[in-house]
Amino acid sequence: MTSFFRFIARHTAYFYFLLYCSISIMLMQLQRKETLDAIRERGLAANAAIAEQLSGFRSIFSLKQDNERLFLQNARLVSKLRHQELAMRDASAIRSLIDHRTDGMNRFTIARVVDRRFSATDNMLIIDAGRNRGIAKNMTVLTPDGLVGRVIEVSRNYAKVLPVINRNFMVSVLTDSTRTNGLLSWRNGNEGIAQLEHVPVSSTLLVGEGVSTSDFSTFACRGIPVGRIARISKDKLFYNVDIRLAVDFSALSHVMICPDKPTMEKIELMESQDVPQKEP
Amino acid sequence: MFVLALMQHFVISRLLVLHTAPDLMALFIAFISVSVGQRTGTSYGFAAGLIGGFLSGNLGLEALIGTCEGFVAGYFHVPEESHATSTRKKRMFYSASVAALITGNALRSLLHDPLSLPLYIRLPEALILGPLMSMVFAVLSYHFVLKKLLRD
Repeated sequence: MTSFFRFIARHTAYFYFLLYCSISIMLMQLQRKETLDAIRERGLAANAAIAEQLSGFRSIFSLKQDNERLFLQNARLVSKLRHQELAMRDASAIRSLIDHRTDGMNRFTIARVVDRRFSATDNMLIIDAGRNRGIAKNMTVLTPDGLVGRVIEVSRNYAKVLPVINRNFMVSVLTDSTRTNGLLSWRNGNEGIAQLEHVPVSSTLLVGEGVSTSDFSTFACRGIPVGRIARISKDKLFYNVDIRLAVDFSALSHVMICPDKPTMEKIELMESQDVPQKEP
Repeated sequence: MFVLALMQHFVISRLLVLHTAPDLMALFIAFISVSVGQRTGTSYGFAAGLIGGFLSGNLGLEALIGTCEGFVAGYFHVPEESHATSTRKKRMFYSASVAALITGNALRSLLHDPLSLPLYIRLPEALILGPLMSMVFAVLSYHFVLKKLLRD
C-alpha cells in the first residue's frame, strides 16, 4: 500500500494530466450535445461585451477618418435624395395631370416647365414640348386647376408660354353662374390675383363665383377654369373685379397643352373692317 | 492569467499571418511549467484553456490543448535546487515554448478546422509558421520580463 502511494506521489503529474484530459474530452462531448449551451452563451456575451469596449476604444483613434468618410457619404446620399425627390415630384405631377384628364382632354400634350422668368413686371415660361410634339403658336396651356397661358413662340423641342400673370396677356372669360362676359388681364403685383375688365355695372356678379374661358377667346378652348371672383367694387361705368387665379404659378412644374389651334377664319373675320367701304 | 487570455483573444489573435497568430498563452504555460513544475504547469494549462475556451466557445478543446501544452512543457522543468545557470534556464524555456507551441498548434489544427483547409496547408502553418511567430514573442518576453523572474 505504501509503495502504491509512493508511486502515485511520484507520478502525480500524469494523474493530473489524465484527469484534466478526461474532463476536457468530457467537456468536448457535452459541448457537441449542446449541454453546455448556457456557458457558451455567457462566454459569447462576455466576448461581445469586451469586443464592443475595445472597438469603442479603437474608434477614438479613427474618429477623424470616420468623420471625413461620413461627410463624403452624407454628401453622396443628399445628392441621391435630391435626385429622387425631384423624380418623385415629377412623377407625382405627371400622375396628377393624367388622373385629371377627361375624355375630351385625352389629346392634350403634357410638358414640363423647364424655365421661368417671374418678376413683378415680366413673367414667362419655357416648356419642354415644341414643334416635334405638335405644339404650335397660340395653343392653350393649362393644368387640371385651370388656365396657365398661351404659346407665343415655338422651337423644335421647346415652347415659350405667355402666362396669365403677364401684362400682355388677355383672355375673354365668362362667369359660371351669372354668365357675365369680361376680359381677364393681369396688372403688376400679386401673382395670385388678376382683374376682370369691361364688366358694366348693369351686369350681375357674385363674390366666389367661378370664371372660365369663353367662346370669344381667339386662342383658349372654351370652359377652362381661370379662377374665382375675390372682390367686386363699382366704378362709374364698370365693375372693378379681382379674380383669384386657380393656378398656383409659384408651384408650377407640369402643364398640358391643348392641341386645338385657333380658327384663322374667325380671327381674320374679327380683324376685318367693321364698316364696308362705300361703292362709288 | 485572465488578462493574458483577454490579450490573446482580443489583440494577439488578430495578428494573423497565413491563418496563424502568435500564442501568448502557450508561452505563459511553458514559463510556468519550466519554473514551477510539470504538475502545476498542467493545472495552469488546463485553467488557461478553460478561460480561453470560455471566450472562444471551444471549452473542451482549449482545455485539452492547454493541458497538453502544460504537460509537455513540464519535461523542461528546471528545479530550483538544481542551481542551473541563466543560459540553461533560457534554453529550457525556449525548448519548453517550442514543445508547447508545436503540441498546441498540432492539436488545434487536427481537432479544430474552421477554415476547412487541407491538412498539407494546416500542418506546416501550425508546426512551422505558428511556432516561429510565437518564438519572436518568446524572445522578447524573455529578455524584457521573464529573465528577471527566472533569476529570482
